[in-house]
Amino acid sequence: MIWKYPLLLRYLLYIAEGSVWTFGLVGGGLLIGFLIGLSIAVGQVYTKTAKPFLDAYVWFFRSTPLLVLLFLFYWGVFPALGRKLSPLACSIVVLGLRSGAYQSQIFRGAIMSVGESQLMAALALGMSEIKGVLHIVLPQALRISLPGWSNEYAILLKDSAICFALGVIEILTRTRFVVMAAREALIPYFFAGVLFLVLTHVGTKLVQIVYERTKIPGLIWRM
Amino acid sequence: MSNQDITLKVEDLHKSYGSNKVLKGVSFEIRKGEIKIICGPSGTGKSTLLRCLNLLTPPDRGHVWLEGEEITDAGTDIHKVRQKIGFVFQEFNLFKHLTALRNVSIGLEVVKGIKKDEAREIALEQLRKVGLEEHAHKYPGELSGGQKQRVAIARALAMNPVIMFYDEPTSALDPQLIGEVLDVMKKLAKEKITSLVVTHEIGFARSVGDEIMFMTDGRIIERGPPDEVILNPKHEVTRNFFRNITRLYERSEQ
Ligand SMILES: Nc1ncnc2c1ncn2[C@@H]1O[C@H](COP(=O)(O)OP(=O)(O)OP(=O)(O)O)[C@@H](O)[C@H]1O
Ligand SMILES: [Mg+2]
Repeated sequence: MIWKYPLLLRYLLYIAEGSVWTFGLVGGGLLIGFLIGLSIAVGQVYTKTAKPFLDAYVWFFRSTPLLVLLFLFYWGVFPALGRKLSPLACSIVVLGLRSGAYQSQIFRGAIMSVGESQLMAALALGMSEIKGVLHIVLPQALRISLPGWSNEYAILLKDSAICFALGVIEILTRTRFVVMAAREALIPYFFAGVLFLVLTHVGTKLVQIVYERTKIPGLIWRM
Repeated sequence: MSNQDITLKVEDLHKSYGSNKVLKGVSFEIRKGEIKIICGPSGTGKSTLLRCLNLLTPPDRGHVWLEGEEITDAGTDIHKVRQKIGFVFQEFNLFKHLTALRNVSIGLEVVKGIKKDEAREIALEQLRKVGLEEHAHKYPGELSGGQKQRVAIARALAMNPVIMFYDEPTSALDPQLIGEVLDVMKKLAKEKITSLVVTHEIGFARSVGDEIMFMTDGRIIERGPPDEVILNPKHEVTRNFFRNITRLYERSEQ
């Protein structure tokens, strides 16, 4: 190995800096996905008319490969709408749209496991359906969703690597640059792998802490 | 008797689920301060009746007036109507993520828009009434069945309803916990809180009930003072029903 250490360090730092972009992809995707997923779940559980459309949305985004979605939206959908997005923005939107489909299923299961009886009690007090869902059902459903949600974070983190295909200079893209420049594959890829591992671990740990903190005394969640 | 004194009036109420006719024309009225008991076999439509009366389930036909106002009118604000009716469920239906105190105060805050501090005071007062002040900070999962049901009663009372509905409030409870809930209900009955109670607790019915309405197959087939209906029923079905209940009752007393 003919690497000089300072150079190696600079390369690895360059890769590590990609975490910022990865975080942008994952954070943005999770946030968009959260808003979409929660809305879909509420719609799927509580409405009749919207349900077929929401089901179709979920079905489409869950059964289309991410890479196809990325190309479809980057080269197809957004240009057709007359709004060409940057690779980063497009990737975030696509990750979010897709994550929303997956997250909706997490939230839907959680909402259903809270059950109808508490909502009925809320209505009996005179709450509107919206208030009942907001004050009674969702606080519980969101807590129940946390484990599934941290899983979604881990999946999204790994999926975000595919955005290198659009040239977003996240961790994997940078690693490939380094590999080409240094003509050395083992250390950079290994480093990238470790980086993903650390990010996954830290993120899921954080969610786990939130989960423990929000535990309700005496209550055992059935999933 | 002026109309002012009639809290709830029900006229020819019908409800079907698909082809299953559950309520086949139910009529009765409850005057202010009265305690009316509904008894009847399982699947007769007692819960359906209560749910139709506070519009949790829309009735198909018939009329209901609450304090002289027809609530089966198309333009009724159903949320306003439900505020005026305290509903106590068989399975308590407490909000599991909230403490006993918050269970009672949330309706005041979210529905009535009462300030947090004031809602808290009212909630504490109600919990004191059902003997649970010292459990105010506990979550439903930390309470016994009897305590849960008492919190549920406090939650309904806090809204200051014009009538209380109870749907078999003690039938999900272990025998040794039934007494504490019935005691609270008796206390409220003595305070003349107008109530419609679905229950098979004949002791309770006889001690505080003004009238028993015996329901079977979607109709009220017999009604009258509790002692009369229980001890001297006119219909065969009623007689069999109370004979069985009394037998069970005596067995559990032994
Ligand atoms: N939401 C519903 N959808 C369809 N059928 C229903 C629904 N709720 C009740 N029913 C039917 O209506 C009938 C009456 O039910 P209801 O719960 O009112 O009886 P009940 O007198 O309260 O019985 P129990 O003493 O067992 O509580 C039953 O045949 C039941 O299957
Ligand atoms: Mg019932």
